[in-house]
Amino acid sequence: MKTLLTGAAVALLLSSAAIHANDSVITETGKPDQWAIQTGDYANTRYSELDQINRDNVGDLRVAWSFSTGVLRGHEGGPLVIGDIMYVHTPFPNKIFALDLANDGKILWRYEPQQNPEVIAVMCCDTVYRGVAYADGMIISHQADTTLVALDAMTGEVKWQVKTGDPAIGETNTATVLPAGDKVIVGVSGGEYGVRGRVTAYNLADGSEAWKAYSTGPDAEMLVDPENTMVLGKPIGADSSLNSWEGDQWKIGGGTTWGWYSYDPELNLVYYGTGNPSTWNPSQRPGDNKWSMTIMARDADTGMAKWFYQMTPHDEWDFDGVNEMILTDQDVDGTPRKLLTHFDRNGLAYTLDRETGELLVAEKYDPAVNWTSGVDMDPNSENYGRPAVVAEYSTEQNGEDTNSTGICPAALGTKDQQPAAFSPKTNLFYVPTNHVCMDYEPFRVAYTAGQPYVGATLAMYPAPESHGGMGNFIAWDNVAGEIKWSLPEQFSVWSGALATAGDVVFYGTLEGYLKAIDAETGEELYRFKTPSGIIGNVMTYVSGGKQYIGVLSGVGGWAGIGLAAGLTNPNDGLGAVGGYAALSDYTELGGQLTVFELPGGGDAAAAEAPAADTAAAPAEGEAPAEGEAPASN
Amino acid sequence: MQHTGSLAVLALGLVMAGPLLAQTSGEEETIPAPTANDQPADLAEGQTVLPNGMDITADYMENGRWYNADGIPTFKNNDDEVDYAVFSGYRRYHAECHVCHGPDGEGSTYAPALKTSVLNMDYYDFMEIVASGKQDVNASANQVMPAFGTNKNVWCYIDDIYVYLLVRGTDTIARGRPAKRAEKSPEFTAQEDACMSG
Repeated sequence: MKTLLTGAAVALLLSSAAIHANDSVITETGKPDQWAIQTGDYANTRYSELDQINRDNVGDLRVAWSFSTGVLRGHEGGPLVIGDIMYVHTPFPNKIFALDLANDGKILWRYEPQQNPEVIAVMCCDTVYRGVAYADGMIISHQADTTLVALDAMTGEVKWQVKTGDPAIGETNTATVLPAGDKVIVGVSGGEYGVRGRVTAYNLADGSEAWKAYSTGPDAEMLVDPENTMVLGKPIGADSSLNSWEGDQWKIGGGTTWGWYSYDPELNLVYYGTGNPSTWNPSQRPGDNKWSMTIMARDADTGMAKWFYQMTPHDEWDFDGVNEMILTDQDVDGTPRKLLTHFDRNGLAYTLDRETGELLVAEKYDPAVNWTSGVDMDPNSENYGRPAVVAEYSTEQNGEDTNSTGICPAALGTKDQQPAAFSPKTNLFYVPTNHVCMDYEPFRVAYTAGQPYVGATLAMYPAPESHGGMGNFIAWDNVAGEIKWSLPEQFSVWSGALATAGDVVFYGTLEGYLKAIDAETGEELYRFKTPSGIIGNVMTYVSGGKQYIGVLSGVGGWAGIGLAAGLTNPNDGLGAVGGYAALSDYTELGGQLTVFELPGGGDAAAAEAPAADTAAAPAEGEAPAEGEAPASN
Repeated sequence: MQHTGSLAVLALGLVMAGPLLAQTSGEEETIPAPTANDQPADLAEGQTVLPNGMDITADYMENGRWYNADGIPTFKNNDDEVDYAVFSGYRRYHAECHVCHGPDGEGSTYAPALKTSVLNMDYYDFMEIVASGKQDVNASANQVMPAFGTNKNVWCYIDDIYVYLLVRGTDTIARGRPAKRAEKSPEFTAQEDACMSG
């Protein structure tokens, strides 16, 4: 049986040589019973076809089992499920556990890398890690210290490892990786340390470097073709980045790549966004600072840039552009379009044609957003695609050593990395958001390699004249550019959403609640308070014929830093001391996976499937054949 | 361009002294847990001695910054107007420290509330930890504070950050940006420029 399977898989791999996509990822993400990639699918929709748990019965949800990771601090990302194995990761020290779902969650193997704890000192905002990836029978982990390691998915044995960055100069990793084609694409963190952002592709077979594309600098190092790389329908031209910086500032100019990655196998394009330009003091870096704050579309095989769109030229507020790009095929004005939807930190939700980079929609997804009066949508305008900056909230125009007050959103953005979900049943996006504003004062800083390079001080507080909370969970129409409904939340919603065919949307809250809401109306259907605040992303899978919902608890991350002691509004005037809700009044550190189920055996006879001695998950170096997953249906 | 903020050349001298003096500190409770347990010290009206034994009474000003009789940086506010070093410390704290230690010295989910640490910890111990860093890595903790001794954005302002935290720990000013501040003195500016460009 095993031999046969291996033979079939080899044939599959051989036949796929001419195809661009990574067959194993496409195969595994194509099985609704699994959660085979952090983002749910290559398109980053975080949508599941599973519907055992639905809007009529989700109120009966209960905890099925739980698992402590043994690590405190912020738990972002979520577990994968491939076949009968669940892979759970942790923040630094980036442990990985393989749990046998067919054998009561027994730990099949665990992996704990040796990392120099000094790396923690150069991680700006907690030791978070947004999870492992699966490809070709391997679990691929990109550790805090930028070690990229490929493990045998069945045994945990190290197949290869390679260093992708240098923590001594502030280069670290918090993001997951994207397996695409025969490569795995990785980013880098460290925008607050003057790190020069880039993405690097490594060959899945042996970890050798395939290509590297910087966010800033000479065209050749950015893998940009002056004639054929497009920006809003026009060629990008020569030296587009160098011309947008003063002197050599681009070398320590940020544009890091710590967000999510999506992939369109048909177009063979990888999509991601770049982070803030360094420093946070805009006066120290005149120019548009290209290509920080940019949506990038690149060929997965070569890294060559197909198109760019810079959302926030010459950032003045730390609005990193790294949030996820969600790929959907929808009708616009009656015409089917290949769309890319992106909820940026800057408070604007963008809808673009993902083939050409044409800008279709750019609208505020929180009415509080005030730094811009909107994006110039006239293709004939010289400011086409640029946001109009409101002078009052321009930290550049107000200048160094001036405190600009009342800017919305705050530096953490209307949304940070916490990913949204899309349901093709409702054609709505479900977006976890922040509802926080700030005062921002930039000032001069010196650069020291491996040291923070910030150059601004800021105070954050809940959006004034609103509901007093620091977050919302919204439903967004990406074609109309409108909020459909909005649920106020006491704290920023820092958990990735999940939408399912059961007409339910799930998300976690910083107090620790897992919430289920009606996908149409937003009506709350269920909540359960987990042991710690949730900044992880909700996922779902089927095991033994029964649907489960899983989420990591473990408060931390940027949310845990900013909100632990609560916020105050310095503009409330004298006497308004004490301010707003403190997260520390609601939750504590933790590190736990909680898995939910409906009572009973599920709707399949296989609910009590006999426990296998070895989990029937993908074997070493092979893609499991279709239908091999024992838990299907 | 001109720097604003505050001064620091003197801090460099103190840094030299810091590690020597701090050698004896051993394993004492210098870093309280970042929770509601570490309440600010409740100084009675007129009381000027902190739990760590430091008298916060300002004695003299040098180069635009206040010191107590023992030569340790302290503050001298004028009602709700903070001295310039406190304001400078507010600004630098929120650029360099708050990404771990939370806003206003209040602590985060994992890093201690420094506004309390400075009440219980000796000034020289504080300086040593900022200069050299601190590690608490074991089965239950992964806490690592970087060494800032070579970072001018921190070192040129470390005494300002210190007095800002004193002000916060003693609840002398409320959370948030100080509403009013004294003017920046030419001496202060001169020291700052010397430190940042030195």
